[in-house]
Amino acid sequence: MWGFIARKLIYNVPVYLGIILIVMLALRVQDPTLMKLGKNATPAQIESVSKSMGLDQPFVIQYFELLKNVVTFDFQEESWSHGGKSVGEMLKSSIPMSLAITVPTLGLSAIIGVCIALVAAYYRGRAVDRVLMIVAVLGMSISYLVYIIFGQFFGAFLPRQALGGENWPFEITGYGPLFLGEGATPMNWVSFYMLPVIIGLIVSLGYDTRFYRAVMVEESSRDYITTALAKGASKPKVIFVHMLKNAMIPIITRVMSTLPFLITGAVLMEIYFKIPGMGFQLINALTNLDFPVIQGFVAVLAAMFILTVIATDVLYALVDPRVRLS
Amino acid sequence: MIRRMARSRAWRKFTRNRTALVATGVIGLYAAIFLTIVGTQITDWAGVTNIGSRQGLQMRVLPPKWPGFLESAGIEQRYDAHDWQVSNLNRLFRKDLESMADPSGELAAVSLGERKLADKPIAELRALNEQLNEQFDAVGEVYDIYDEVNEEHHDLDDAIAKAKEGGDEEELAALRAQIEPLEQRRRDAESQLSTALDAVDEVYEELMPQPTGFGGVVYRFRTMFGSDVLGQSISGRAFYSIKIAFQVGLVVATISVLIGTLLGAVAGFYGGWIDSAVMWLISTLSSIPYLVLLAVLAFMFSGHQYFDNSAEYPELQLVKLYTAMGLTFWVGTARVIRGEVMKIKELEYVQAATAIGFGRFYIVLKHVIPNTFHIMFINFSLLFIGAIKSEVILSFLGLGVSGQPSWGTMISNSKDDLSNYFFWEVGAASFLMFVLVLAFNIVSDALQDAFDPKHV
Amino acid sequence: MSTRTPTPTPRLAWITTALALLTGLAAPALASPDEKVIRIPMSTAGPGDLDPVQGSTTYESRVCSTFYETLLEYEYLVRPFKLRPLVLEEMPTVEQDGKLWKFKLRDDVYFHDADCFPGGKGRKMVAADVIYSWKRMADPEYTYENWWLVDKLILGFNEYKDAQGALVDEGKAFDYDAPVEGMRIINDREFEIELTEANQQFAWKLAMFQFSIVPREAVEKYGAKFTRRPVGTGPFLVKSEKDWVVGSGLVVYRNPNYREAFYPTEHMPEDVEAGLTEAAGQQIPFVDRIEFGFYPEAQPMWLEFKGNTLDYTTIPQFALEETISRRTKKLKREWRSRNIHMDKVPLLDFIFRSFNMDDERVGGYTEDRKALRRAFNLAMDWDEMNEALYHGMALAYDGPIPPGLDGHPNNEDHRVANSTRGADYDKAREELRKAGYEIGPDGKAIDFEPIRFYTARSQESNRVVELLQRNFDVVGIKINPVYVDFPTLMDVTNRKKAPMFSFAWGSDYPDAENNLQLYYGPYESPGSNHSNYKNSEYDLMYEQLRTMAIGPERTVHIEKMRDILIEDAPFCGSLARTRVYLTHPWVKNFKPTETFFTYFKYLDVDMDHEDRGE
Repeated sequence: MWGFIARKLIYNVPVYLGIILIVMLALRVQDPTLMKLGKNATPAQIESVSKSMGLDQPFVIQYFELLKNVVTFDFQEESWSHGGKSVGEMLKSSIPMSLAITVPTLGLSAIIGVCIALVAAYYRGRAVDRVLMIVAVLGMSISYLVYIIFGQFFGAFLPRQALGGENWPFEITGYGPLFLGEGATPMNWVSFYMLPVIIGLIVSLGYDTRFYRAVMVEESSRDYITTALAKGASKPKVIFVHMLKNAMIPIITRVMSTLPFLITGAVLMEIYFKIPGMGFQLINALTNLDFPVIQGFVAVLAAMFILTVIATDVLYALVDPRVRLS
Repeated sequence: MIRRMARSRAWRKFTRNRTALVATGVIGLYAAIFLTIVGTQITDWAGVTNIGSRQGLQMRVLPPKWPGFLESAGIEQRYDAHDWQVSNLNRLFRKDLESMADPSGELAAVSLGERKLADKPIAELRALNEQLNEQFDAVGEVYDIYDEVNEEHHDLDDAIAKAKEGGDEEELAALRAQIEPLEQRRRDAESQLSTALDAVDEVYEELMPQPTGFGGVVYRFRTMFGSDVLGQSISGRAFYSIKIAFQVGLVVATISVLIGTLLGAVAGFYGGWIDSAVMWLISTLSSIPYLVLLAVLAFMFSGHQYFDNSAEYPELQLVKLYTAMGLTFWVGTARVIRGEVMKIKELEYVQAATAIGFGRFYIVLKHVIPNTFHIMFINFSLLFIGAIKSEVILSFLGLGVSGQPSWGTMISNSKDDLSNYFFWEVGAASFLMFVLVLAFNIVSDALQDAFDPKHV
Repeated sequence: MSTRTPTPTPRLAWITTALALLTGLAAPALASPDEKVIRIPMSTAGPGDLDPVQGSTTYESRVCSTFYETLLEYEYLVRPFKLRPLVLEEMPTVEQDGKLWKFKLRDDVYFHDADCFPGGKGRKMVAADVIYSWKRMADPEYTYENWWLVDKLILGFNEYKDAQGALVDEGKAFDYDAPVEGMRIINDREFEIELTEANQQFAWKLAMFQFSIVPREAVEKYGAKFTRRPVGTGPFLVKSEKDWVVGSGLVVYRNPNYREAFYPTEHMPEDVEAGLTEAAGQQIPFVDRIEFGFYPEAQPMWLEFKGNTLDYTTIPQFALEETISRRTKKLKREWRSRNIHMDKVPLLDFIFRSFNMDDERVGGYTEDRKALRRAFNLAMDWDEMNEALYHGMALAYDGPIPPGLDGHPNNEDHRVANSTRGADYDKAREELRKAGYEIGPDGKAIDFEPIRFYTARSQESNRVVELLQRNFDVVGIKINPVYVDFPTLMDVTNRKKAPMFSFAWGSDYPDAENNLQLYYGPYESPGSNHSNYKNSEYDLMYEQLRTMAIGPERTVHIEKMRDILIEDAPFCGSLARTRVYLTHPWVKNFKPTETFFTYFKYLDVDMDHEDRGE
């Protein structure tokens, strides 16, 4: 098993090195210092800013510097638009905020999606199946943006307006100043994050349900199902136990491959619900041309992605030992 | 290739699916609108026509934020609209139109799309405008009464609420007795006000008659979904946005499918180090979320002379969007095609072609890729949807289109109107997008069903 | 029956209540019961810095005003604006016509307790702190962000800056102990400042947050972190770095050791009825905690205000319609019934579209160029913009001087005699003819090559451009809009590359001089004169203006300068926005203004008010 993990790591390290190289070169096409300070900056200003970012050093050194930062997860550079805040601090504060939305959305969506898909597969071709699939297609066709805008309006604003703030659990925005310095409690999570999670869930359920149903349909045509049924196992048991077990691999792949989508997808959610997660910070940095933050965040996001890819493979191997050999 | 596909069983299966045919029709309709817009732009650019789509979209067609079909405006909104109309007209008639050599330019400045000043002598128009002003002043007086009654009504409500809290039954009963007469007075005032507003409408209709004939049809189309905060036609902008959506969809889907097919086929067919290299590229690119890639590209080109210059090179602005999506979207297609080609490679006719001694690249182009056509087709429609949806989100975030209408900018412009319960602009953009995406979803489902029923 | 309030349908109420019960949750309440908390929104992603020498925006000014203090402050309730001493014993004495300024500090001003001081106990503020704080503006470490405020103002300060800058370039340390000729410490409590020339505006600057007083120990101990860990003398303080969550919010706490300071007694007659005088003479501050929330999107902010969880707000543009009757310009009755109070705050605002006077096509001082620029002016409909984008609450006026200041045209239409404010399409065509364009039969100029118009990317600017294009199209003027990020806009204008661009200027202090300097020749780009307007007569008048004492003579002088500008038309203008504040009934002592932000210490909250939401 460890050999397998090592192999995967070795394969993916060059990938990551390539990404970082491309990103760093792209970010230096136009001089970031000049972009920040304007073309009239005095030499002294330019020097002090580039020094703070190590931009005055040879590219190779900058490259290894960044890699070192990623590996040790220690970004000392200071943000250009938020004085005194280091990129590392921003990362540390924003990653949990993003994960607090994405992880529950991901998990719940997989569980609920699989359940619905099982129901649809059980009633395959009948009215229940049809209705579920039509709803899924309709749901998929609505823009994420529309879900968020209307979700906030109908999910938090209208009921709060009608019942008064105390009687409605969801806050209109996801992260009130109340949260500051007090530490998160489960209660906070519900009032600030539950609505974004529900919206995210509705968005991804359409895709997930369809996918899982297709998986189930394919599995149901396999021989072992016929055999089990012939042996006299009940249909529900075959579908909910045998089939589900065998469908685990595509399900895991799906869950892992949705993770990138969820992180980028969460940007809008974070902006709209005022949650200072990674996407929010990245977009903010972009509007302020905040070079250190952009570079650091992109490096970390790419690393997170590679890690999910590796994790997917490892999970595979756990579920299906045959994978390890290939 | 296409002929072969059209004769296949799968194609017949697809054409039996009625929903899919309707959806194809819908896509065709959108495509026709897209082609018309592009066509007029090209002829405009070539100097053949001068339709000037921009002026058409910026034209005032209604008072600001006027609701679309089925919904009628409330009293306050009608008053504000009249106020707006009257002050526009007054500004015109304050001028010495009689002594102008050709006042038609001035007169045209107040028209609302196809709704123009009546074709009457200026003196007559001026008289009508006087009348309009008189009627409007009369509305003002009635409105004051209406306001007063309303104020009393509110006072009474507050008093009742207070009495309820205090539990003073006697007072409550006394107050409740006042409700009915007050309600009556309010209804009276309201109907009076509404009559007065109708009178203004009448004069206004005489001064600026509703267009008839072809102009009337166009005007009805323009006002179908109401107007935005600048009095511009929402329907015009929503339909015009099809252009950007299709443009982005077509470019991104074409690029991605072409790159994906070519690389996937080559990797699958040749195997060996080529396969490894392509797989490495695939895993590298799929490790960068396209939003991050776009962030990098946006930073790279920020303020660039060519690629961030909405004035001189509006189309080049989108290059970074195309690049970001094009670079990341092809990987899915490449994966599927690679798998398919590995299967095709083993088929007899390919083996035969190799044996005859055809060049390997020739075989890929001539015999392998055509057999993946259905996959290309399905992927194309899926990527098309992806591109359209992303464009909307990116324009909303300010990373996409600027300076021309798109569903994303429309939604972003009007999202705040929800709390005014004005849904028309968000609604029109969302609805048109929804229909297009739904149609594409249905078609790609049907295609998948027909050509590749086993594919997950 | 009453039909007023939008009561929920029974079914909705049932479902929602059930859901609330099901989850068994109410909104979290983290505040301890007898703490007074005020929740204040800012419609932005928040301040960039909490360090006064690195800040420049109004948002930085707001937060800095809570934990830092300046020598002078504005009288809270008095209009027109007036200054009064804050950490000074009395107003500074001014000698030699405004050249020599003498200051005496209060004896009871202490810095916040912080671990940068020995024993963690805040020490007394002394004159050296003031000089130290101001010298920081000359330190290249802070990129000279606010140097423009003191440039050529204090005797010997420019020389000091250049000498120290040279030192830093050589790799040596910036020497804060080196003397500046015009900054003289007399003793711990007294010091004097000598200016390069007589200057009446210096007093206004002393109330700007960039002149706040910071302790040297904190700057040196916290280094780069100082901007997140402010230590000042103000009525509120930040306890730790964590109190600022970038992009989300900032919490400041009451300074328990704040000196004896009282709610002001001087006021305007109308303040009595508004209940603003009841707290007169009481010890400030009143609230224990201020929670600033940052709202880059306006909708959530508005929804929270409506949901009673923000204590006051400015009305976002989109919500003006639902709150204010366009007809009467009054707060609608539904809101008045909730006892919500509305204040209109006219901003010292100068929104304009500027030309680059060095540009080949629109620049220049010949008659035809002036005519071309006036044609732009005449074709622009500010009233329509006001109605469409600002609900008719803004104010269109002539010239660069916003309402409320000397030199603003105070007649009914806010016009001057030689007004060129549109929309007057006829006149615009006339000017276009003078500029050498032929007018076609459709009333449009023939062959008008589009002019590039730079504007910062935003939702509002999209609409502004559409409106401008529509207005201009009537006479055939064409513009090519270029949407850029704000830093790029600044860069393009600094390099004189933008022929025409959209700008707004908020006065730093309530004096016309601050706006007139925008056209002073020597301040051309990259200075504040982004129009690169050069007129020797005007420049001379501006130099005279700086030393003139306030009075009718000065007003006439200002008006003359204004009329020269309107004649030459280096800009199209103007518009001043009105900020509309809504305040919930449980907030006390709030008289909104956007000219200064030292008022947080006067605010009070009735935490037990029945409508106040948690």
